[in-house]
Amino acid sequence: MAIAEEKKFISLINEHQGLIHKVCIMYENDRDVRNDLFQEIVLQLWKSFSSFRGESKISTWMYRIALNTAISGYRKQTRLLKTEDLREMHLNISDAGSDDYDENFQKLQWAIRQLSEIERAMIMMALEEIPYEEIAETIGITQNNVRVRMNRIREKLKKLMCP
Amino acid sequence: MELEDLKSIWKSGETVFQPKNEQEIAIMLKGRSISIVNKLKRNVWFELVFAIVVSLGLLLYALSLEQGAMKWTSISLLLMCLASTIYFIKKLSVLNRVQGINDNLHDTISFLITNLTSYLKFYRNSYTVLYPVYFLLGLLFSVLERGTDKFVVFLSQPSTIVYLLFMAGLCFLVSTWFTRWYLKKLYGDHLEKLKKILDELNQQ
Repeated sequence: MAIAEEKKFISLINEHQGLIHKVCIMYENDRDVRNDLFQEIVLQLWKSFSSFRGESKISTWMYRIALNTAISGYRKQTRLLKTEDLREMHLNISDAGSDDYDENFQKLQWAIRQLSEIERAMIMMALEEIPYEEIAETIGITQNNVRVRMNRIREKLKKLMCP
Repeated sequence: MELEDLKSIWKSGETVFQPKNEQEIAIMLKGRSISIVNKLKRNVWFELVFAIVVSLGLLLYALSLEQGAMKWTSISLLLMCLASTIYFIKKLSVLNRVQGINDNLHDTISFLITNLTSYLKFYRNSYTVLYPVYFLLGLLFSVLERGTDKFVVFLSQPSTIVYLLFMAGLCFLVSTWFTRWYLKKLYGDHLEKLKKILDELNQQ
């Protein structure tokens, strides 16, 4: 029974690991620390897997745990990222991924990382097509507040990506 | 650039990560958590086990001695260790209350702030109590070493009183400063970060 549960969980993580990778890369610069964060998120997901009832989308549940871990439960060694430091950003991302890296995604990623931790969480969920209602529930603010903040975030991203 | 454009760029990013295979994920499940609360818990468990081992050692040593200064010294240290054991258990019970990763971000952060603040306060206050105890123990050992009569004569000299008051004040100031600095370095900055995030969440 426990083994079957573990297999089910592993295949779930395998299927949705892109989400965890994205959270890690948005909240950590260093490759090793990012790997630690990935493992911590997987562990926290595993801990709360038995209590997941399927009332919300699997991605919403995963975002909730992943963001809680990345933002509040994990004491990280942060390094300030300079706005103009695109080159270093590119090196960091290349560590984690493929050779023919999509330039637009790189630019978007850089722009998102200029936002505050809460704004990053919100825009990531919005880009994953998570409804505002579930974003509000995950962050713990009202839907109206989500709408207002999302407008501000969109404006900020626009300025950052097309100055 | 509209949200829909950003979404399509975002989706293209799915392919750029080096995926973990199932075996790697399975190994991760056997790993240990490095969350802040788990780290704190591990430290306290280490202190607790250390205090118990030292207590047992002191007990055996005290039992092997006849009457004398060393026996009383060992017993007083043993009592200190036993008091520490209770203190560590209390610390663990405070930390065990810090859960809630399943809640929304706002509630998790509020909960962590409240509990980490009370943990750090408890840590600071207990050390504020412990330092005078260490000081009094130092005096006790001095009595045991010199003998009560000599110690009373020694203590009645004004220069001794001034010296002791000076040392007590210095020990208190240095140790309080050190505890505050140590706690801020370890967890204070994280707590400040959490407070800033909560402030941002509370803004409309």
